[in-house]
Amino acid sequence: MDSINTAVIVKLEPDFSEGNVSYNPDGTLNRAETKNILGPHSAIAVSAAFYAKVKYGAKISIGTMGPPMAESMLQQAQLMSNADELCLFSDRIFAGADTLATAEVLKAGVQKMQGKMDVVFSGHRASDGETGQTGPQTAWKLGMTFLGHVIDYEINLESRTIRAKRLVRMQGVYDVVEEVEAPLPVFIAIDPSYKPRFNTVSQRLAYEKYQKEANERAQNFKQYLKVFNAIQIEADPKLIGISGSPTIVYKVERIPKGKAARQAEIIDGSNQEQIRKVVVRLRQSLSTAVIK
Amino acid sequence: MTEGDYRHVYIVIEHEEGRLLQVSLEMLGEARRILDDFNKKYTSKEKVVAVLLGYNIKDIPKTLIQHGADAVICADNPELKYIRNTIYTKTISQIATDRDMASKIEPEYATQFKRPRYMFFAADSIGRHLSATVLAHLESGLASDINKLVVGDLQITHQNKTGGKPLTYEKTLEMYRPDFSGFLWTTILCLDNKNPAVSRDYHPQACSIIPGVFEIIQPDQNRDGKIIEYTPKFDEQDLKVKIIDRKIIKSEIDFDSHKTIVSFGRGVKDSPEQNIKLIEQLAAELDAQIGITLPLSKRPFSVSQTVDSTYLIPDRVIGTSGRKVNPKLYIAVGISGAMQHIAGMKESEIIIAINPDENALIKDECDVFIKGRMEDVVPVLIEEIRKQKQVIQA
Repeated sequence: MDSINTAVIVKLEPDFSEGNVSYNPDGTLNRAETKNILGPHSAIAVSAAFYAKVKYGAKISIGTMGPPMAESMLQQAQLMSNADELCLFSDRIFAGADTLATAEVLKAGVQKMQGKMDVVFSGHRASDGETGQTGPQTAWKLGMTFLGHVIDYEINLESRTIRAKRLVRMQGVYDVVEEVEAPLPVFIAIDPSYKPRFNTVSQRLAYEKYQKEANERAQNFKQYLKVFNAIQIEADPKLIGISGSPTIVYKVERIPKGKAARQAEIIDGSNQEQIRKVVVRLRQSLSTAVIK
Repeated sequence: MTEGDYRHVYIVIEHEEGRLLQVSLEMLGEARRILDDFNKKYTSKEKVVAVLLGYNIKDIPKTLIQHGADAVICADNPELKYIRNTIYTKTISQIATDRDMASKIEPEYATQFKRPRYMFFAADSIGRHLSATVLAHLESGLASDINKLVVGDLQITHQNKTGGKPLTYEKTLEMYRPDFSGFLWTTILCLDNKNPAVSRDYHPQACSIIPGVFEIIQPDQNRDGKIIEYTPKFDEQDLKVKIIDRKIIKSEIDFDSHKTIVSFGRGVKDSPEQNIKLIEQLAAELDAQIGITLPLSKRPFSVSQTVDSTYLIPDRVIGTSGRKVNPKLYIAVGISGAMQHIAGMKESEIIIAINPDENALIKDECDVFIKGRMEDVVPVLIEEIRKQKQVIQA
């Protein structure tokens, strides 16, 4: 029974965590002051691939489209997953790509990875672009069945099938947890709520072993790193970068302040008497039965 | 490319077991308004076309027509009962490129028809992924999470699109998208490459639309519209993806039965754990449910395991990406007032905001603005509420 090949596509993103992110006075992101890291949703996708390594002995290839400095992010991802291969798709002509042109590079890149992929993982969405489109578009270009919002999965190595649980939010109605069965290969966009669980002793032993190995590998990550340019991944120049992007950003503006919807009474927060009056008003608006 | 290749706006309708999601009607309303202006301005008769997939959905098309659709293309098939990405993507793409369908929508525009001019999806769990794969299949552009749409004739100078020369793009959809901060608006265009060196058509111009943004039009029982049946063609291989089980889960967070909601935003950041405790106390005094803003539900904002799992969860988000609420009293603590949040709470009867920054957008959306840091104001507020309760009891 053969194991499986997995790939993870990840993204270098601004670190939005409190204490690290820096905002301009007008509330916009200060990109110069905010460093870049492995995106949090990408990290979850990496942990989902690591689950396949621990449970099924899967091989892991991690790929990203980005500048040369994305190398250290791949190292970070290897540390989390004991990845067997790190691929950086880097070329000036990739710049300015929208999601469709990015997906084209990632498709070509995944096809250059070692082995034929059984499962490809992506994150839910990037924290900066937030479109959530690149994963499914890459899946479509690869011709793989796309499963989004995956919160749990198990693979049957014998029948070469996957069973996945998906969390689908029906806005204004209810949420649905859907269980799907599909033949491999599949492309999974992992849900933010995904958490791998290692239940058995042998899984925990494998987990320990791979983590230790990951430490060693990540120290020598360059041995595992391959850098590809556009020619090396054989991407069609018409379909990548600016020339392969149907969309452009026409303008960016501050969202104009609308007309004041309400006329606020302004209260000095350090004045207890004024706050007392607010509470009187608040009591009036509620029935006294509520403030017991 | 010629002018007649692209016609109409196609809207991918969402429903759950025959129950329409609100956003479907909102998209129809906006498409109706856009096309009414469009047809007047360009003296044309392009149509609002609803694309409906599912099983046992015979009752829906009528409702769609009453809410603004000129035509409903209906693929009613047991294989389409639940959404499976591959067969849905292929069916929607077949419909969008089918000239027979186009001739039934508007015979006059049928001979040249290649694709829709515009295409709308919902920016939710379903539409987000479906829009991505459909547009990957159709090889055209897609803007996500749109909350404003304008059609215009634009003068564009772009290195790639126009070869650096100024060219006019008629009937271009300006798609406005608020960014992650909620303060910036980015306008996205999907443009054909008119530069002869890289000439290429990009239609439809497509977007996903944030639920809860656009107005639904008053339903009109007498509106006329065409209902067009479509028989999808499936590939055997695609049907091997099977839905084994579906479980409905209700949100554990109940906003509707509380008269008061206390919500907090990034303003808790200086000492999140203590500040969230303050919010808990305030909410307990008022028998209030606790809500949060969208950014707090995202991974990077982390306080502690227990606090995260109790409060910083998508179920508590109030706004366009979460729940819409209308309590008697809404207390916004440390919330700046990004439009996505306002859209979810503006119907509240009384709104009190606590914020140190008098220029915060929330000031224009509240009845009482308490200027100050939440660390200072909330304890006093709690104390006053307790005092006044004692007065009542005495």
